[in-house]
Amino acid sequence: MRLVRAELLKIRTTNAWWLFGLGALVMLALAFLVNAVNAIQLLNNPEDVPAMSPEQAEQVRAQADVVFQAANLYTSGQFFGLLFVMLLGIVVVTNEFYHQTATTTFLATPRRTAVVLAKLVTAALFGAVFWLVTTALTIPSTMIFFAVKDFDNHFGDWEITRALLLNLLAYVLWGIFGVGFGVLIRSQIGATITAVVLYLLGTTAASIIFTLLRVWLDAEWISELQVIVPSIASQLMITGTELPGSPPQWVGAAVLIGYAVVTGTIGTLIVRRRDIG
Amino acid sequence: MSDGQIVVSGLTKHYRNVRAVDNLSFTVEPGRVTGFLGPNGAGKTTTLRMILNLVTPTAGAATIGGQRYADLAEPLRHVGAVLEASSAHKGRTGLNHLRVVAAGAGLPRQRADEVLAMVGLTPAAKRKFKGYSLGMRQRLGIATAMLGDPKVLILDEPANGLDPEGIRWMRDFLKSLAAQGRTVLVSSHLLSEMQLLADDLVIIAAGQLITQGPVDEVMGSMSGNTQVRVRTPQAEALTGVLAAQQATVTPGGDGALLVTGVDAPTVGRAALTAGVELHELTTERPDLERVFLDLTAGKAGIR
Repeated sequence: MRLVRAELLKIRTTNAWWLFGLGALVMLALAFLVNAVNAIQLLNNPEDVPAMSPEQAEQVRAQADVVFQAANLYTSGQFFGLLFVMLLGIVVVTNEFYHQTATTTFLATPRRTAVVLAKLVTAALFGAVFWLVTTALTIPSTMIFFAVKDFDNHFGDWEITRALLLNLLAYVLWGIFGVGFGVLIRSQIGATITAVVLYLLGTTAASIIFTLLRVWLDAEWISELQVIVPSIASQLMITGTELPGSPPQWVGAAVLIGYAVVTGTIGTLIVRRRDIG
Repeated sequence: MSDGQIVVSGLTKHYRNVRAVDNLSFTVEPGRVTGFLGPNGAGKTTTLRMILNLVTPTAGAATIGGQRYADLAEPLRHVGAVLEASSAHKGRTGLNHLRVVAAGAGLPRQRADEVLAMVGLTPAAKRKFKGYSLGMRQRLGIATAMLGDPKVLILDEPANGLDPEGIRWMRDFLKSLAAQGRTVLVSSHLLSEMQLLADDLVIIAAGQLITQGPVDEVMGSMSGNTQVRVRTPQAEALTGVLAAQQATVTPGGDGALLVTGVDAPTVGRAALTAGVELHELTTERPDLERVFLDLTAGKAGIR
């Protein structure tokens, strides 16, 4: 427990946390704006669907649902919020090597597993704080927005609550990914850039690859496999209603937990064996 | 932990192609400053890091007060270490750095202020680490090591980059710690500094022990190299007299003669008996630097 306190103190005494927090808030505002515009479009003109394939039309109709849009707005900013939480997790580890404080840390605590666990807990806590702050902003914003537009905000519905809670889980788990990633790539700049590129390009690339595979093999189940990509799994978790062609929300949660366990375990094992010097 | 003796036994570290440390054994006694000497790349840092459980030995073990570092319940209360000059977050203040370490080690928060005052850094407490000079960084490192009021101090090249004032401060500080009965192990390649600071020496080269013992003893083991410098206007006469005493006389280059094989009183008596006028008569003990170079000759190269 005192190790977690030390880790929290480490974060509080440097600039990274509020820089990342600020970044997350800016992206949250933008995301909320985009989602709101989107919601107006889809909710006001549900039948105004341009020519598209039957599956696409079905997708759009599913999204033109108040619950879906409400969940989407309540969880606005997740995409970049998760990125910043992951970056914070990375920094929690790579700072120790970048600033050569790993020596001091492991001198104070030779039991390295405890140190890694403290870092995992700290990153998870920060993920939870990010979730709390963003959610505390999106809930009233969404209610006001829906009130102005005269839609039922559905707050308190199980679909919405589930989306919010699974969103919390996603934030926590991405903090853990960050720590695991930081252990794998010790270089601060290397880890940060790799993570950002993988997150931003990887999500798109994975979508394209799975779409191509689905068309090529002509098998609908391929697109359901997209959920093995962590960022897509997180997005799935916060949908309010089930979309056609997507697995249920709990699958996304299961996938993310799997990744978190694997990265956390690998990270711990590596740190235990590594020579510090 | 009753006493702070450090025992290194058979410590070995192999990297891919290099035996950085090769079956190294020595002991470090409490109440004394022990200089850990070796040329660059001799394996000093690797050895210290193995003692501190930061690097895993290929073979052998090291204990501090009978326990391995990893087995110490509250390591910072037993052992303080200063390993790199720049081991703090650049954007964190000196005081906050100490508070973080204290929090992690379960030490009271006010220890941070106390050790900062101990090393004279209180005026810079709220300044960020990146604004610290090299000397201030070393002092912060020592402050960090002193947080737990440890019985054993291990320092890797603490004099590196310090100005003469800083080196003097460091020397006095370490000597006072040893005088309090603490164990002080200091690595260095600055031999002249060790001559002023250390009570005992451990000399290694190429990862192997060359010699260890009290400074006088290590120097004494080289006493065969003691020579007498003598200056006289009657060089030839003196050379002849000394040759009869089994001494070896070589020209010193600046008009003096260097005599080995006999001591200074013998030279003086011989000169008096022969009626030879002397202008200078000095015993030249080899300095630590010479001893060191002799001992590690040929082993210091790039490996």
